[in-house]
Amino acid sequence: MDNPNYVTLSRQSGLMKAMQAVANNIANMSTGGFRREGVVFAERLERMEALPDTLAMTDARVRHTSTEQGALRATGGTYDLAIEGPGFFQVETADGPRLTRAGAFTRSATGELVTMGGAPVLDSGGAPVLLPPDASAISIAGDGTVDVDGQPIAQIGLWEVADASALARQDGVLFQTDDALEPAAGSQIVQGSLEGSNVDPIAEMTRMIEIQRAYELGQKFLEREDERIRGVIRTMGQTA
Amino acid sequence: MRALDIAATGMQAQQTRVEVISNNLANMSTTAYNARRAEFADLHYQQIERPGTVTATTGAVLPAGVQLGLGVRTSAVAMSPQQGALQATGGELDVAIDGAGYIEIELPSGAPGYTRDGALKRTGDGLIVTSEGFSVVPEITVPEDARSLTINADGEVYAYFDDQVAAQLLGQLTLATFTNEKGLEAIGSNLYVETEASGQPNVGAPGVDGRGTFRQGYLEESSVDAVREITELIEAQRGYELNAKVITAADQMLGATTQIR
Repeated sequence: MDNPNYVTLSRQSGLMKAMQAVANNIANMSTGGFRREGVVFAERLERMEALPDTLAMTDARVRHTSTEQGALRATGGTYDLAIEGPGFFQVETADGPRLTRAGAFTRSATGELVTMGGAPVLDSGGAPVLLPPDASAISIAGDGTVDVDGQPIAQIGLWEVADASALARQDGVLFQTDDALEPAAGSQIVQGSLEGSNVDPIAEMTRMIEIQRAYELGQKFLEREDERIRGVIRTMGQTA
Repeated sequence: MRALDIAATGMQAQQTRVEVISNNLANMSTTAYNARRAEFADLHYQQIERPGTVTATTGAVLPAGVQLGLGVRTSAVAMSPQQGALQATGGELDVAIDGAGYIEIELPSGAPGYTRDGALKRTGDGLIVTSEGFSVVPEITVPEDARSLTINADGEVYAYFDDQVAAQLLGQLTLATFTNEKGLEAIGSNLYVETEASGQPNVGAPGVDGRGTFRQGYLEESSVDAVREITELIEAQRGYELNAKVITAADQMLGATTQIR
């Protein structure tokens, strides 16, 4: 068995996945409410049939979602809402309720507060937020209370999950979880601002160079291993 | 190798952003123009390891799994309805809208169009039209011998005559508001048409039901903030370069792959 090569190959294919994650982070550096993702490598043990030992391989096993706060950018839009703190908005999609931090909302033709994808934003009771069409002044307070012409009409729900790594990602900057949601007490809504992506381009570039060099290292190792085996074959050929 | 494709979607997104910014900057002196903003969303995710997969013979379950994103897409290029600054022009048919609402006009097809550009003009027949020559709805005709015109906050158009002391009411300009202004379709020439997303227009007298009021002798300036657009442009440019850098790195990794012996 050519085990050193297989172990190195498992590392190389893991590095390819890590590179894909970095590329996705950089591609989404301007996506509002996007959370950076990282790949964590784990050791995987393969049981060997002929040998008494096991062989340690590496595997990109676990995904890590960063919960760092993204920068807030003032836009002045009435329906542009940013969250300060770890909370999420809940929106009702065709596949069920989902969490998001992308707060570029708008008012639909029927008067509901919706995402740019058309999913209604839910209030703290799980119902869509209806804004009267003749409202002239809509203000949204830090705790999510929606004031229309001085009258509170609804409260936008803010939710927290105990374990951010249990969130599954979906397209449209949405997250799905089966865990119970808790009201996010420590989070605040900021009206007229949008949260940017929490991708740090410098960190991503550094990570990308690391991955690239590690990949080259793996390739060098494979070359050396190739030379070693050639050497073995040559020497054996001479002695025979 | 997907890193190449992913970085390409990133470059496309940044390019869209530059296009939106350049359109905003080109329109920084357009009457009543509202700045547009590109919104992005991530693409769907490739499930490499599903969360909850059993990882060991002891029945241990993978807590998070591996999901790899496939890039970015433009989710919306929406206008952000904002009141632009009012510029005094002194023109008697220049009306700025202070607050929400659009002036309804009639397009050549007979369909209604909506605009916030209040640089109105008079045709040879005395009909009040926009700069493009579309008549406002309801139609208002100014008599030939009118000395001057006054348009009050409620949109009422009064004409003064040499031989009369009292002003004569010619008609009232109305305003239309929409439930979802971002859903209006821009057709160029400062005009918008209603869509299913914008909802039905709510037409009525200015100053009631959340509609704005008129200001005669003023025009609404473009709401483009040049400083913000320029900083965004720099961000977009650097974002484009970063994505290009990823393509280079991914290409070098692929190059190394082909040399594996």
